Amino acid sequence: MEASYQRFPTVRIRDLKDDFLKFELRDTDASIANALRRVIIAEVPTLAIDLVEIEANSSVLNDEFIAHRLGLIPLTSDKAMEMRYSRDCDECDGDGRCDYCSIEFTLSVKCTSEETLDVTSHDLQSSDSQVVPVDSIGHDPDIENFNQKKGILIVKLRKGQELKLRAIARKGIAKDHAKWSPAATVTFQYEPDIHINENLMETLSVEEKREWVDSSPTKVFEINPETQQVEVIDPEAYTYDDEVIKKAEAMGKPGLVEIYGKEDSFIFTVESTGAIKAAQMFLNAIEILRSKLDAVKLNFGSDEADEQFGDLGAHMRGGF
Amino acid sequence: MNAPDRYERFVVPEGTKKVAYERDMKVMNAGAFTIQREDHTVGNVVRMQLHRDPNVLFAGYKLPHPLQYKIIVKVQTTSQSSPIQAYNLALSDLDKELEHLKRAFESEVAQRQTDYY
Repeated sequence: MEASYQRFPTVRIRDLKDDFLKFELRDTDASIANALRRVIIAEVPTLAIDLVEIEANSSVLNDEFIAHRLGLIPLTSDKAMEMRYSRDCDECDGDGRCDYCSIEFTLSVKCTSEETLDVTSHDLQSSDSQVVPVDSIGHDPDIENFNQKKGILIVKLRKGQELKLRAIARKGIAKDHAKWSPAATVTFQYEPDIHINENLMETLSVEEKREWVDSSPTKVFEINPETQQVEVIDPEAYTYDDEVIKKAEAMGKPGLVEIYGKEDSFIFTVESTGAIKAAQMFLNAIEILRSKLDAVKLNFGSDEADEQFGDLGAHMRGGF
Repeated sequence: MNAPDRYERFVVPEGTKKVAYERDMKVMNAGAFTIQREDHTVGNVVRMQLHRDPNVLFAGYKLPHPLQYKIIVKVQTTSQSSPIQAYNLALSDLDKELEHLKRAFESEVAQRQTDYY
């Protein structure tokens, strides 16, 4: 019974940065690609603030508003995979506050000057230096924070206003609440397979070719200035709208081009919020999908199986 | 008011089995697996893998209701195999495929790092 219907996927990375990953995934099924996408978005665990105890709040935002905003702050979660869920933690009897399952944060700010004080994620003090709010660097050269680390704004305080609180961060997944999602966007597209019917293309005049090339909302085709031939310059810009096909039919030349999405070739784009590195996020997703499939195995030979199957052993073994 | 708690989507309650199997009374070599607290992520992957097995005559999955967090996977095989055999084979093939993918990805990333130096 050593049959195996396994596939052997291949990966080719196009772009790899800390928070951005673009790669090609080939020789696998769309269901795997989609499952990985769903797991990255919803089931890769991270850390996020889950319990807030407010000691003093005289700001313009009310307590639960601030607690909500604190929960949405992304925290660097590299240790999230090894940590335990609070509900499963035996150390603290599920109280959810021990070192194995939670991280404590404090925030204590009072505005004493005439100027407005911005309370940002930089003001959050963590009990664990590995778990801190993610720092973002301004990317737009036109805004004054370009290349400076700016914290995430929580609330603004006027003179005399104060904010003092303790917060506990726990491990969780986005299926529970979206604050735990490590992903900014995760997308995959089918790689397009474009075939231009050269014979039919020859029957078009240059103006007709230009008209046809311009009918595509995205720049997929272009006319080569030297040879006056229509060429594919960016197949991946094709968004599977059939504009060029409809245009070809309108011009009386159906079958001018054939475009299919290859069924087993995908181009993945993974963007992270900064909680976990993009490549690490994808690896975690593979592990989580594997453990989900493992949890779903049906174990025979256990007491449950005997109880369920008993004399259905013949049925189990293939009817012999 | 009637919405279930969010953790119901993935926490299996005490006393409920994660996977249950029921033979089909009317059809030979057929059965249905009820998997608790899973959704399309697992259902679609298992179903597509079952389709690759030539001994599997029928494989399908559904979510009976979007607010009840379980899936039902129905399998019918030829007499050369059985639904449970096919199901377990599909799961182990998927595990091997994911492991292969993981290694391929890790080696690509490692190669990328070395390419910079």
